[in-house]
Amino acid sequence: MSDLGGHALALSGLTKRYGDFTAVDRVSLDVARGEFLTLLGPSGSGKTTILMAVAGFVAPSEGAILLDGRDITPLPPERRDFGMVFQGYALFPHMTVAENVAFPLRVRGLSRADRDAKVRAALDLVQLGFFADRLPKQLSGGQQQRVALARALVFEPNLLLLDEPLSALDKKLRAELQEELKALHRRVGRTFINVTHDQEEALSLSDRIAILNHGKLVQAGAPTDLYERPRTRFVADFLGKSNFLEGTVRAVVAGGFGLEAGGTQIVVALPPGIDAPSVGARSVVSLRPEKVALLLDGDVADNTVEGRIAGFAYLGAGFALRVDVPGLGEVRATLPAWKAPIAPAEGLTVRLGWAAEAAVPVEEDGR
Amino acid sequence: MDGAYRPGPFGRGLAWVTALYLVLPILIVVPVALTDQRFLSLPQDGISFRHFQTVLGSAEWLGSIWQSFTIALAATVLSVVAGTLCAIGCWRISRRATDLVRVLMLLPLIIPSIVYAIGLYRYFGPLGLLDRFLGVVIAHGVTGIPYVVITVSTALAAFDPRLEQAARGMGASLSQTLRWVILPRIAPGIFSGAIFAFIHSWDELVMVLFIASRDVFTLPRRIWDGINENLDPAMAAVAVLLILFTLLLLLADRALRRRTEGG
Repeated sequence: MSDLGGHALALSGLTKRYGDFTAVDRVSLDVARGEFLTLLGPSGSGKTTILMAVAGFVAPSEGAILLDGRDITPLPPERRDFGMVFQGYALFPHMTVAENVAFPLRVRGLSRADRDAKVRAALDLVQLGFFADRLPKQLSGGQQQRVALARALVFEPNLLLLDEPLSALDKKLRAELQEELKALHRRVGRTFINVTHDQEEALSLSDRIAILNHGKLVQAGAPTDLYERPRTRFVADFLGKSNFLEGTVRAVVAGGFGLEAGGTQIVVALPPGIDAPSVGARSVVSLRPEKVALLLDGDVADNTVEGRIAGFAYLGAGFALRVDVPGLGEVRATLPAWKAPIAPAEGLTVRLGWAAEAAVPVEEDGR
Repeated sequence: MDGAYRPGPFGRGLAWVTALYLVLPILIVVPVALTDQRFLSLPQDGISFRHFQTVLGSAEWLGSIWQSFTIALAATVLSVVAGTLCAIGCWRISRRATDLVRVLMLLPLIIPSIVYAIGLYRYFGPLGLLDRFLGVVIAHGVTGIPYVVITVSTALAAFDPRLEQAARGMGASLSQTLRWVILPRIAPGIFSGAIFAFIHSWDELVMVLFIASRDVFTLPRRIWDGINENLDPAMAAVAVLLILFTLLLLLADRALRRRTEGG
């Protein structure tokens, strides 16, 4: 039953309509065995609907869900054998922690002795052995979350579905449980599908992220790929922060092109595998704020612009600057605070610079 | 309620007057039941328990009490099963049509029972249910359904639907989900409904007047006949017993609610 790596799942043209509203629009996606995949998107992007369709609570209007190549679309949720952690955990309030965790085993008709052993093992896995006889409401949010995890894993499902598992926790606890969740995934070696709107959580947890917007799959890939080479403006904007420089392509050379944006000439290096735009075309490039440096006299960079600091925020680890650049508009830059070359002040004129490789051309998101 | 505004003297007085207005007519039967006279009256020369003795020593009264009790019990079972299933069904499907069903289920409460009774009389005749234990049980059971539907629906409104999803997602069948997750959560609502359904049958008179005559002779029916035929204070004694019994049921309901709210 517990073959290594869990299940592989495939969504093929998954579509869900509610009347005129299309919640999920022809989403096709493969999830490999043992992979930690995160569905990331703003609210209303269809990510939860996809998860609910995989779990069997939502019947797709079109398309199929394949588990190891077998079509499971018509199966009711209780026959899919997936573990699931619900938003807000959905622990049974009238049962103790141990009874909650034992529930999936009880419905499978396991003997009491077998149940007890497995429940103990599952609670130990999430370090909650001492709390077996408490009621859920006597536990903290983080502990409840771990009970939900233990309950979802106790029957050794090959696929675990997580619906915003950490969203109800405060920031610090969330970071802690992110690490635990990741370690847990490595330990149990099963396929995890996670839904979240928290881009940091997605970046830190996932093997692969699928970004959704308006029910459509915009881009899927490893976190670094998505962050470094966002395909569209939406991806660049949603995953991390980004400046967008819009302009007209003036020159194309091998491995790069020149963009004229608001009277400023910008050189952009093309990442491998991306076609160069044609001369005269409109183009948008995404530029991450942390890739913009503050230049002192004598410093050189592929691209330099000058502007006035319109505002800044001290974030502890760094400064976030908003610099008004004539012609380009506002350019955001983040500097490490401990080695900031200057003390930022509003109205100060500064020179910003970035490498040709720092900016990535992105597509506008067609609707 | 701590820190809430306290009622003024006028509001407080009005509340007491209203409460007394509601309770006094009920309380008057207590001294009447304790009369030492042989007719319905207030005690003259002292109080006496002989009318209670009459009631508790009379095969007729005891028979009626027993009959009323068994009918109410059977009717309650019918109301609880049908009402609970109806409420859960409406809650699960939860469409516009189910709202209609829920309103429909309240009809026995809305329609005057005399109208309902006339209908039953016409309907039960050909079915051979007149003056039968089963007939009265069905009549009382069906008209008791609204109480259960209301209390169970209220309990379900507070039930987190994700718990049901969670149970099904973990492989529980519908009946397992019902037994282990839904029913334990809404049990207080079901008990409340059961108590109301029981009281409803226990003191129902109008329908019984129509559909029962000799073999089925419930307690309210005997009181009614007693008032019509002779003014025996035994009726007041029965009334006192009835009040005490109903009070007990209501207190049980209250205690149950308090326990579930506290827990």
